[in-house]
Amino acid sequence: MSNFSMLFNGFSVVFTFQNVAVCLLGAILGLIVGAMPGIGSLAGVALLLPLTYKFNPTTAIILLGSLYYSNMYGGSFSAILLNIPGDSPAVMTMLDGYPMAKKKGRPGQALFTANMASFIGGTIGMIILTFLGPGLANVGLHFGPQDMTSLLLVAMTSIGWLVGKNPTQGVILTMIGILLACIGMDPQSGAPRYNFGNMYLMGGVSFVPFVIGTVGFSQVLRLMSERNEKVDDDKMVKQKLTIKGSLLSLHDFRRLLPPAIRSGILGTFVGVLPGAGATTGAFLGYAMNKAFKSEEPFGTGAIEGIASCEAANNAAAAGAFAPLLALGIPGSGTGAVLLGGLMMWGLNPGPLLFTNNPDFAWGLISSLFLANLLTLMIAIGVIPFLIKILTVPVKVIIPVVLVICMVGSYANTYSMYGVVIMIVSGVVSYICEKSGYSTAPMLLSFVLAPLLESNMRKAFITSQGSVSIFFTSPISCTFMIILFVIVLTPVIRGILKGVKNK
Amino acid sequence: MKKFLLIALVAALVLPLFANGSQESASSAGFAPTKDITWYCTSKPGGGSDIYTRAISDAATANGWLSKAPLVNYKTDGAGEIGRNEVANTKQNADYTLLTFNSGDLMPMVANTNNRIKNFTPIAIMATDKQLLFVNPEKAKYKTFADAIAAAKAGTQVVIAGSKGDDLELYGMLIKELGLKENQMAYITNDSTADAITSGLGGHVDFVMSKPAAASEYVKANMLVPVLALSTSRFAGNLSSAPTLSEVDSKYNNVELPVWRGVVGPANMSEDAAKFYSDMLKKVSESKEWKEGYLASYSLESSYMDYQEAKAYMEKYEADYLKKIGK
Repeated sequence: MSNFSMLFNGFSVVFTFQNVAVCLLGAILGLIVGAMPGIGSLAGVALLLPLTYKFNPTTAIILLGSLYYSNMYGGSFSAILLNIPGDSPAVMTMLDGYPMAKKKGRPGQALFTANMASFIGGTIGMIILTFLGPGLANVGLHFGPQDMTSLLLVAMTSIGWLVGKNPTQGVILTMIGILLACIGMDPQSGAPRYNFGNMYLMGGVSFVPFVIGTVGFSQVLRLMSERNEKVDDDKMVKQKLTIKGSLLSLHDFRRLLPPAIRSGILGTFVGVLPGAGATTGAFLGYAMNKAFKSEEPFGTGAIEGIASCEAANNAAAAGAFAPLLALGIPGSGTGAVLLGGLMMWGLNPGPLLFTNNPDFAWGLISSLFLANLLTLMIAIGVIPFLIKILTVPVKVIIPVVLVICMVGSYANTYSMYGVVIMIVSGVVSYICEKSGYSTAPMLLSFVLAPLLESNMRKAFITSQGSVSIFFTSPISCTFMIILFVIVLTPVIRGILKGVKNK
Repeated sequence: MKKFLLIALVAALVLPLFANGSQESASSAGFAPTKDITWYCTSKPGGGSDIYTRAISDAATANGWLSKAPLVNYKTDGAGEIGRNEVANTKQNADYTLLTFNSGDLMPMVANTNNRIKNFTPIAIMATDKQLLFVNPEKAKYKTFADAIAAAKAGTQVVIAGSKGDDLELYGMLIKELGLKENQMAYITNDSTADAITSGLGGHVDFVMSKPAAASEYVKANMLVPVLALSTSRFAGNLSSAPTLSEVDSKYNNVELPVWRGVVGPANMSEDAAKFYSDMLKKVSESKEWKEGYLASYSLESSYMDYQEAKAYMEKYEADYLKKIGK
């Protein structure tokens, strides 16, 4: 039977009252969980898993799959409105989403862009998953540590665009991000590193509290220090709070479409790669689209910027199902919990899942299409209520955001350790920003450095320390060429300009 | 009248406190759980420890030895040390807190922290797990382990991928027995066995070290083939084709590092509670679900020990290991 007819078979499984109802429930819960900073899809799926114990496996995976998927939509809400990413892929959305909402006074359109791009990216991911799923999972296996290293180096170049006017300051903060990422267990020897005898530091600096502190808590401190100054939120109050007022013009939609399609395709392939995940997808989507023309510069509230990372992270979330279903390989922490669920429901995740349980595998893929559509409708429907957040006076916003920061940090680590990380990183970031240092490079290097270190060290073990491994593998060599082109283009351009001026 | 009402109200509020106290002391003669049990697992869902925890939970609830399934709490922070430390220091609710604990947890715990077995109440040892080396039949450079030993000795680097903890320790024992150095037969540490298997399926390493449970589905699909049993005897079923090291070459001794899988509670757990859980786990170890659904499916050996035997065994294991690493 062709994949297309298997998909329709899957739809016949999904379109029962019970399955549609749980899909809707999953979509709503996923949006809420994603919108709450600190409580990502991992916590959401892990918390719901025990409740699905007595469910039929297909119904259970539809609930958890739709929750996981719709979570990718929710993460952008707080990133755009409050400058606090709801989950790690939304770090990139924040770069353009918040300026578009705050500085340009277009919060409705910013949210609409994020939702539409998520929908387009997700749909592309699901179509690719349907037709190329198992084959794609095998392509992912071809990516060895050397290939992942080169790919991550390309992703790292996106930091170059965020260093701001002073490259030295940007490099300093990038290095600090890498140093902070080194705290914890050595990925190869398993020995504790830079933990100063502290057991909590043995697990490293937790990412979510770190981001919440760096972005959210430092913003609270800034608002408090500027409380007597007039805060630039007049534009927000004037914003029309309707769905119609949030719709994009045809011109804006035309701007959104190309980067969303490009990121949708790229994101799906990144999602398939072992250990890469939606966050790397968002980074690469942003980095790739930066190379294309955009009406406004990236980082200043460009529609293209929001679309490129939101489409990529949703597509990556869909792509991550390929290795999970076809090979039993979880691409992320949430994937691992879903895998645990499969075993709990009495299924054997692995290479034989598609053959032994086609109803289950295709039912899940079909439910992703349904979840994508349901989530889009809900997400667009709640825009007018969401942007009301921006009309709340600063004196109310400060304590509310502070509580969100505290709860989000605690919920992520289930301990006060998260809250301490959040406060320390918030204070340090506030001081950095007051001194003119942008903290974005620190965040990005902190996210990518552990993945890069782990893959690079594995590659060097295999090659006995020789760098030639990055050039002998065709995949890695291709990424290395892209890397050199990205890094050397401005240098060569500068030289040519100099020669011309002479 | 007001005073009377106030005294009556205070008395009504205070009385249940005494009632609660007397109930606890009355129940100490024989423990039976009346609240939710929190079961800590310090590795990721889907891994060997998770499968083990759920197998116990399923068998115990299906047979009515536990009225409600325990709440599994994954605490993987600090390579599991935070979760283990949390359980060790649980003062309240100690009778309702359990931890999946195996020798792969004990080794890094005593090597990297001051946490010791004395900070826990051992409850039982349930099973013993061992590792094998697998190759990807489509991409394998070496069809047998003998070929790999010969290649390593001739100067070609052989790469093994595995997980942390006991896998890393066993790799050290293997190259010592073979008389090889780390650069001749290298080891890539992965966060989990699933990651190691992924690199094996992609053909990026020569061998994958795994316990039978994690590799089972790939062996069934012929995507991984067992080539060396890291044990003193061959495994059963579809793993029986793998020879032991002494069978590969009689000049080598067999290498094995049996991973015992146990359950512990906080040091503060009452003896009654430890006895209750130990007895419950004995029933689980004798159940059909456990023997067929877990031990046979994942090629583990049954090795039940009650709370007193487990305590003596874990303490000796810890003392021997500390001596070995010079601590």
